[in-house]
Amino acid sequence: MAALAEIATIVTHAPWTLSAAHRARYRDAGLGDDDLLQAVALAAYFGHLNRIADAVGVPLDYDVAVMPPHADPTTPPLAAAPTTITGTPAIELASRAATAAALPRWVDHVMEREASIPREVRRAIAGRVARLLGDGDGAASDAPLEPAIATLVDDVTLAPWRLGDASFATLRSAGADDATLFDLCAIATTAGVVSRLRVALVALGR
Amino acid sequence: MALAIMDHAASTGVLREVYDRMRERPLPPAYRPKHGGVPGIICAHSLDPQLIPKVFGTSTTLNGAGPLRWHEREQVNATTSRLNQCLY
Repeated sequence: MAALAEIATIVTHAPWTLSAAHRARYRDAGLGDDDLLQAVALAAYFGHLNRIADAVGVPLDYDVAVMPPHADPTTPPLAAAPTTITGTPAIELASRAATAAALPRWVDHVMEREASIPREVRRAIAGRVARLLGDGDGAASDAPLEPAIATLVDDVTLAPWRLGDASFATLRSAGADDATLFDLCAIATTAGVVSRLRVALVALGR
Repeated sequence: MALAIMDHAASTGVLREVYDRMRERPLPPAYRPKHGGVPGIICAHSLDPQLIPKVFGTSTTLNGAGPLRWHEREQVNATTSRLNQCLY
């Protein structure tokens, strides 16, 4: 169904551009709010898997009918949101109860630890990701980040096809181990899931 | 690999326990790797073993039930992967 590919595309590229008009059009195409919520949440969730796979560089290990082309690191980054939006979601995540219960457990694991990245840095990363994605409700922290971390966070969020050894070189030379580098990426990808979801669900009511 | 990946054979401790639990979950044949071990996308998270059940527990709530049908969920997932230029 073309509408589902369109939803995945908008959630991935510019979730803040969704609108009440999209919601009405999708409803006319046979997608009710529950369908729409699942499509938005899947696209947001897959954005995490894609970014982690790219960051780690995991090789493909299952059969595919058509091998997709490799990432092109020269592809320009996605555009950051021009502004942030806040408001009540047009569709509540709570209406998908199992997902609404599972996601906070994931977010708490990533955001509420102190080791080896302090909580305030975790929040600053989430705040930066929220601003890149137009999420006014998630941009609680605007504390500055060390430039190498900010660059990594920006690439994870807006240019995952660039991720590779070079993305980690500066932080590695400053002493960061692989677990810390992974954690930095996972904070950014987790914040990305939360912000994409929140922005899309609010934007669908505007 | 840009970051370390530990597969099932090399895993110990918490990671081994998490992998063993993940292997017990039902998985559609299309996602079952030929090597018979833990799928690579799960191993990609091996640097944070405790994150694995949280991420893939969320996945189950999204990929394991409707209202979207399996091929519709796959369409969203595949479109997202292609746009992110990811093999997965």
